Amino acid sequence: MRESEVERLREDLLATVRELSSTYEELSLLYKLSEEFTGLGVEEICDVMLSEITSLIDVETAAVLFWDEDTESFFLIKYAGQACDFSPSSYKEILCESMHRQRPTVVCKVHENPVLKEMPFRSVLLIPFKGKKKRLGVLLIANKRGSDEFFSGEIKLLQSIASLAGVFIENALLSEQMHEFLLGAIKAFVKALESTSAWTAGHTERVTEYCIGIGKMMGLSSEEIEKLRVCALLHDIGKIATPNEILNKPGKLEENEWAEIRRHPLVGSDILSEMTHYQDVIQCIRYHHEHYDGSGIVGLKGEEIPLFARILAVADAFDAMTSDRPYRSRLPLDSAVKEIVANSGSQFDPQVVRAFLRWVRLTYRIELPESELYSQL
Amino acid sequence: MPKKVMVIDDEPFILMMIEDKFKRAGLDVVTLRESKGAMEVIKREKPDLIILDWMMPEVSGIDLCKQIKTDPEVSSIPIFMLTAKGQEDDEKLGLSCGADRYITKPFSPRTLLEVVLERIGS
Repeated sequence: MRESEVERLREDLLATVRELSSTYEELSLLYKLSEEFTGLGVEEICDVMLSEITSLIDVETAAVLFWDEDTESFFLIKYAGQACDFSPSSYKEILCESMHRQRPTVVCKVHENPVLKEMPFRSVLLIPFKGKKKRLGVLLIANKRGSDEFFSGEIKLLQSIASLAGVFIENALLSEQMHEFLLGAIKAFVKALESTSAWTAGHTERVTEYCIGIGKMMGLSSEEIEKLRVCALLHDIGKIATPNEILNKPGKLEENEWAEIRRHPLVGSDILSEMTHYQDVIQCIRYHHEHYDGSGIVGLKGEEIPLFARILAVADAFDAMTSDRPYRSRLPLDSAVKEIVANSGSQFDPQVVRAFLRWVRLTYRIELPESELYSQL
Repeated sequence: MPKKVMVIDDEPFILMMIEDKFKRAGLDVVTLRESKGAMEVIKREKPDLIILDWMMPEVSGIDLCKQIKTDPEVSSIPIFMLTAKGQEDDEKLGLSCGADRYITKPFSPRTLLEVVLERIGS
């Protein structure tokens, strides 16, 4: 082989290595992103995507616009970089065109473009993205620093990122819809349950609100809060088996009637046992009347009682005390709070009670005699 | 004197890619396609950092890493492990054998260069 030929082959090899190297770079990025996207909600996926894009390409603004089929319009869901104060509806035509053709649109000199000249950007790149089933929207990249040109390599990379994100966004949307559906179905159950007794109407909704308030004070993640919401909504489902004459009885209950009422956590968890993916919810409902010191229905103690059940116990008791019952009137707020504190460590988890006190102070804006209360915790 | 990086991997593409990228960044690069006999080359070349693949025939990256880290003549050279294994346990094993950093394939060549420069200075 002649020397010149060897030299030419060497150059070809180097060019190939460089090209493969940039593909390898892209591959590693997509690999990393698909790991990061896993398990995230829609807005979080958009945040991750935008922060990756702005670290790869020096642009002033990057934004995700979603297409809403019902209203046939685009709306801004997230942006990174400089504030994005433009109205997508004014540019619906070009956004739609890009989305329907599923091809990127580059406008290097916005002010010279008759359709876009009012847009508050110098240069714009539109990358449509879709899921497996639906067109989802458009990724908008504006004002590249240093140059108004977007290179084909950059556009290809952005397309890859957007199409990967599209699949994850569609899945996240579906999973959010499923969760909404589940909550809707649960709320319907609860409505049916509460409709039989005027005394318990609204109880579940309030307990849910209190649980979430306490849970947030305890620093639970949004995923944990959603689980806690399901627990709270379903906590009294076992009362469906309690005779109405007991639930609605005016006046004090007899011991055998109390025994009937005390069965509801067990009945509730049995009813829900078919929800095989919700074992933690079922456990929480089964044990929400356990006492921290072990003196409850089953006799679980301390951290043997699931955390959500310990939160539910406080929220449930607080609502019971601050609501009218057939046999007694409601307690004033501060008396109810004192009662919870007085039972901290015996009936309730002190850690939950502390979070509860912070929540009460924030929500009702009341001054609690702090030292007096905390000294008992 | 430019800093010297040694790359040991049985995949020619990985070697060529790192060599090209690192040389363009002003580093001196020595590549090796097999781990057998690598100790001698390391002692001769005295690199400032070694990038080492985990899965290699004959002597595995882990074994070579242990050898390097127990030989006082070369034990101070930082080692970055490069591997397709991604499990956390593997990472612990990699670090417990003395590797200074663990980078999973596919890796970003750009990021690899950044972390190498961060470690040894340009």
